[in-house]
Amino acid sequence: MAGKSGREINATPQNSLKKKILSWEGGLVLIFIGVLIFGSVVSPSYTFTNVLREMPKYLAELFMMFAMGFILVIGEIDISVGAIVCLSATLTCFINRAGAPMVVQVIACLLIGLACGCLNGIIATNFTELPTMIITLGTQIIFRGIAEVSMGSGGSIALTDTAGFAKIGGRIGPFPIAFFLIILTAVIYIFVLSRTTFGRKLYAVGSNKTAALYAGIPVQRIRWICMTLIGLMAGICALFMLATTFGANTTTGQGFEMDVIAMCVFGGIATTGGKGNLVGATLAGFTIVCLRIALGQLNMSGQTILVIIGILLIASALIPGISQSISNKKKRAAV
Amino acid sequence: MKKQFISVALTVAMAASAFAGCGSKAEEAAPAASEAAATSEAAAPADGEKTYALVPKSAGNPFNEREASGFEEAVKAAGGKCVISYPDQATAEAQITVINSLISQGVDSIAVAANDANALSAALQDAEKAGIKVCTLDSDVAAADRAVFCNQAGVQEIGQALMDAIYDLTGGEGDYAILSATSQATNQNAWIEAMAQIAAADEKYAKLNLVEVAYGDDEPQKSTDQTNALLQKYPDLKVICAPTTVGIAAAAKVLQDAGSSVKLTGLGLPSEMKEYIGDDDAHSCPYMFLWNPIDLGALAAYTSMALVDGTITGAEGDTFETPLGNYTIAKNGEATEIILGQPFKFEPSNIEEWAAVY
Repeated sequence: MAGKSGREINATPQNSLKKKILSWEGGLVLIFIGVLIFGSVVSPSYTFTNVLREMPKYLAELFMMFAMGFILVIGEIDISVGAIVCLSATLTCFINRAGAPMVVQVIACLLIGLACGCLNGIIATNFTELPTMIITLGTQIIFRGIAEVSMGSGGSIALTDTAGFAKIGGRIGPFPIAFFLIILTAVIYIFVLSRTTFGRKLYAVGSNKTAALYAGIPVQRIRWICMTLIGLMAGICALFMLATTFGANTTTGQGFEMDVIAMCVFGGIATTGGKGNLVGATLAGFTIVCLRIALGQLNMSGQTILVIIGILLIASALIPGISQSISNKKKRAAV
Repeated sequence: MKKQFISVALTVAMAASAFAGCGSKAEEAAPAASEAAATSEAAAPADGEKTYALVPKSAGNPFNEREASGFEEAVKAAGGKCVISYPDQATAEAQITVINSLISQGVDSIAVAANDANALSAALQDAEKAGIKVCTLDSDVAAADRAVFCNQAGVQEIGQALMDAIYDLTGGEGDYAILSATSQATNQNAWIEAMAQIAAADEKYAKLNLVEVAYGDDEPQKSTDQTNALLQKYPDLKVICAPTTVGIAAAAKVLQDAGSSVKLTGLGLPSEMKEYIGDDDAHSCPYMFLWNPIDLGALAAYTSMALVDGTITGAEGDTFETPLGNYTIAKNGEATEIILGQPFKFEPSNIEEWAAVY
């Protein structure tokens, strides 16, 4: 029982089950399970295979979520990733139409993304007075603009040789290939963020840039690495988008940046930097995807689904603040 | 006390979810093991009632809503079940999401007004693999990805009607502009191309000068901005042709409010355009064209039902009877299509009557 001694928190072991459940990630696991139950109750077609079959489009987005987690942890933001996906997919279509071998197309797709991210990073590190929000707002328009200009008046371009991309969009059993890659990516990113010195440096930069700089952390290089990395992930996203749409158009990737930022925030990563982890974001990402699929199967209109996701997001942003103020009150009462 | 209560509540929740989780897992394991894992496990309706789905271009567009109402009425009249699934954005990707969901639900047919001619290919092929009949209306996809296209009016007929309207309103010479929807809308681009071909083929149109094709993305505000931009950029502009219902309504308001001498024509909904149609200078649009979106939706519904029944397969020469009349599938290049009819002209004499209809 709490109260008398005021030492209750110390008396609880750090890794107790109770603490795990009460943590943000624990709550997300419950929400995730809740969504799956909700889905299978409300829709008879909400089966394992059907959910996996509807997933590839969302999986493509998830690739960017991990790198976006890094960006948010260092206290920056990148809203150009949707446009990078569009540009990368568009130019890869041109390369495909020119008859280049599949390997060249894949590498080109990734490199274009990488180059766009690198450009963002170079601007961000050379003009540190500019917020990344403004930089990426600018490059977003530029990247999408280049894609639209190169597509010409039709505003749409298709792959001529779809065989290679059909393989990328293929399945092993009921699992899309992208699913395995997502798991692999998740493991790598979670490991880097939580178990390496590089990961600790990201938190240091996000918590206090000046202090991090004086502690000898190469702040600008880290910002550059993170922004380049998300470019590469946008390239991977473009690759898997091509595998589901077999082409690109002027709206490819539209709104992806907000989707992935939403997943990260729902996963407990603060946009102010220094807080949250990718375990939460991964859980949140899959929760949102499964919820969207469930609501979609109810034939709920797309707008209504967006409203529900929006409410969830606001709630998730408010809950930590509310629980913080409750625990503060309790502490004060205890004193 | 409170904390105890919370932990008890959480434990109960956990236990309950674990229970339910086991239940659903057992249910899920069966289909996962089956051979046909890649295709959908259609939840076939027990009573044999057929489900016909429509995927419009976007929500909040009056034209699409009329299409949907025509589709729904036709399906209900025939005793079928109707599903209208609006995508959350006017993009092909949003439509893919919707189509994937419909495949999961095991509908019998999908009629789609495509936001992109190519991007839906994989999703629609998945649908066909799952035994779902696919047709398109309003805006087509590649011929291989659907059985047949329900065309509102022949592309050539529309292009001809619009070019003649421009010729008439400019007095045979001068500048005109086109205000379109999105730059990748299949139908818009086909009409604009047809207009260009007609203009190039006949000497009669030689003195007409197309200054710009502007894109209002079927958003009222963007269409308004684009119209204002056209008026500023081209002081000698005589006619704006907007082959989109959203664009023409926005442009009509801009021109009429400004008292501009620029005249408007194109494709518009009578109920939205009623106050702008008139022969005098106080009105911005002397006349415009459209087909009946309710009939187009109904035609898509009859086509879907005929495809599911097996009355037609989508091949050239197939015929079927509908309450709208008898239709024969025609060939248009590589693709097959069903043409609803000629574009219909709305002018001051008949606008009141039609504005009450749609």
